[in-house]
Amino acid sequence: MKNLALKQILSSIWKMLREFPVVFILFLFFAAFSILFPDRFLSPMNFSSMMRQFVTLMLFAVGPSMVMTMGSLDLTYVGIWMLGGALVWLLTPVVGLAAILVVPLLGVVTGFMVGVIQARAKIPSFILTLSIMFTYWGLTALISGGYPRTVQGFQFITAKLIPGIPTALLWTIPVLVAAIYLIKGTRFGTYLYALGSNEEGAHLAGINVLKYKVLAFTVSGLFIGIGSMILFQHMGGSVAVEMNLNTMNWPLVAIILGGTPLMGGSGGPQRTILGALTLTLLVRGLNVAMLKPEAIQLLVGLMLIASILVGSRSSNKGGVEVS
Amino acid sequence: MNTILRGKSDFKGWIGDNYTSIMPVAMIVLIIGVFQIINPFFLQYQGIISLLYSMSYFLIAACGLTFVVMMGSFDFSVISVMKFSALFCVVYIDKLGLWVVPLALVLSMVIGMINGLIFTKLKVPSFLATLGISIVIDGIALYMSKGFLLMMENDTFRSLSVTFIAGLPSIFYWAMGIVILCTLISIITPFGRRIYAIGGNASAAAHSGINVGKTRVSVFMLSSLLAGMAGVLYMAQMGGGSVAIGADMLIPLFASVVAGGTTLSGGIGGPHRTLLGVIIITWMQTGMLMLGIGKDIQVVVFGIIAILMSVVTTDRKKLKIVK
Repeated sequence: MKNLALKQILSSIWKMLREFPVVFILFLFFAAFSILFPDRFLSPMNFSSMMRQFVTLMLFAVGPSMVMTMGSLDLTYVGIWMLGGALVWLLTPVVGLAAILVVPLLGVVTGFMVGVIQARAKIPSFILTLSIMFTYWGLTALISGGYPRTVQGFQFITAKLIPGIPTALLWTIPVLVAAIYLIKGTRFGTYLYALGSNEEGAHLAGINVLKYKVLAFTVSGLFIGIGSMILFQHMGGSVAVEMNLNTMNWPLVAIILGGTPLMGGSGGPQRTILGALTLTLLVRGLNVAMLKPEAIQLLVGLMLIASILVGSRSSNKGGVEVS
Repeated sequence: MNTILRGKSDFKGWIGDNYTSIMPVAMIVLIIGVFQIINPFFLQYQGIISLLYSMSYFLIAACGLTFVVMMGSFDFSVISVMKFSALFCVVYIDKLGLWVVPLALVLSMVIGMINGLIFTKLKVPSFLATLGISIVIDGIALYMSKGFLLMMENDTFRSLSVTFIAGLPSIFYWAMGIVILCTLISIITPFGRRIYAIGGNASAAAHSGINVGKTRVSVFMLSSLLAGMAGVLYMAQMGGGSVAIGADMLIPLFASVVAGGTTLSGGIGGPHRTLLGVIIITWMQTGMLMLGIGKDIQVVVFGIIAILMSVVTTDRKKLKIVK
């Protein structure tokens, strides 16, 4: 009897590991870095940096991970964050504090635009959103004149509420809950999974594919916009004008590492939490280990390849043509 | 058949059939005209030399990308491979002498093979596979150059690009030779026809006996080889560089491939088309620089061109599902 219970526990752990292999990696990283660098890795300062890093990854990745369940990619987040900051700088002298609302608005408009172009013109979403991201970067540099302009007056967004915990992390919680509810508890989320696992089948089952594609990108844009609003203050309260491809790559790594398959059909924001946690642990751990930036970049790249390989394992069973 | 049915509106129909070829030529004439009127130095000897310098290495890299896009895939790592081979040359020229050139090309081909194998054997979408590889290669390039601006002092190496033959720099002859060679490959050889067939319909190509996997790996190797060659000639032309090489080249490169008329859905286009696209993009770039229009506006313009041209050239009748 006792043996049976043990067997059940073991099998459920095994099942969890098969479904969420990233949990294993997460614990492995945590244990390894804690043993190797006990003073520096487990220090309060490192924990607060970890939370800050996690917030950055998570707020960028929430919207795109919803699009990813549909099998598409949304890379506009860096562009929305940059251009949103530039627009806030431009509008603050005119409309005051309400200027910050331009960021979610920009997100929604961008998402809607991407959705309509992608669904109507049938352009691969990654190349479309990549082009839009670079275009927004150019617009940002144009508006701000190439200088990192600082905007005053939005410190209330990240004002300290609980000592030791960044307020941006508290903001992330309702955003995440809303996203998870949308994907898990509504018809919209179910349809996204349907579109991801078999678009033709979803169409034949009477789902309005066009409408839900546009809706998915718009919702993703809204989440990116809200996230960028918080991140604008979280990452220094100034307009970023330098394009750093790491800002684009790392949220993508977090999504794929979390276990949302590249072809869609399962996963979502709830899985991305795990991915963002793991990537944060890895990056902070490597930072604590005093590795050079190039070594960190190399290891993150290898991590992305490894997670892509693991993630693609389940996606190539249906005979889907991969291009 | 269509022409017979059309009857009177022959001219209109001819334009309709060939607009992907006519439009680039018309755009080139327009660009030359506009810039020549605004700036009379545009078509003088010095102006032409600077036009040739700005388009040659770009053209070589674009030819490689064209083969991949013709096949319906995408190679994100072109810029990274170019940067890698350029930096490899400048870092190791003192130790290895001119052997760096074949070594850089072989290493580039190895990178392409890894790209192709991840894409075909592990069924990872080509965009993500090459993105992951490009992060790793960027890390290696950063590690090699340590982030410094490196200068090239070997005159023999530099003469690869800057020898003047009949009044024109030798890099231009390299580029023209490669375009002609690539066009011949794509039109005459069985290998080229296989690429078109895979781009048209990969599963039909597989059923008609084409070894799709092998062809795809070869195309990715070819693309990386050409990117590596572009890097070598770039270094010989510029005589120095840092990891910032090619930082804002991705969107112009992509825009020049689609502006020439190679469609993202695959099967249509070719290196001869890309020649037109590269002329459009790089001459616009040079013309705008001559007028004092900054990089910011250029990024915006090329982003919009990239999106517009992909919308215009995509044949939506053939496509059912695009993610």
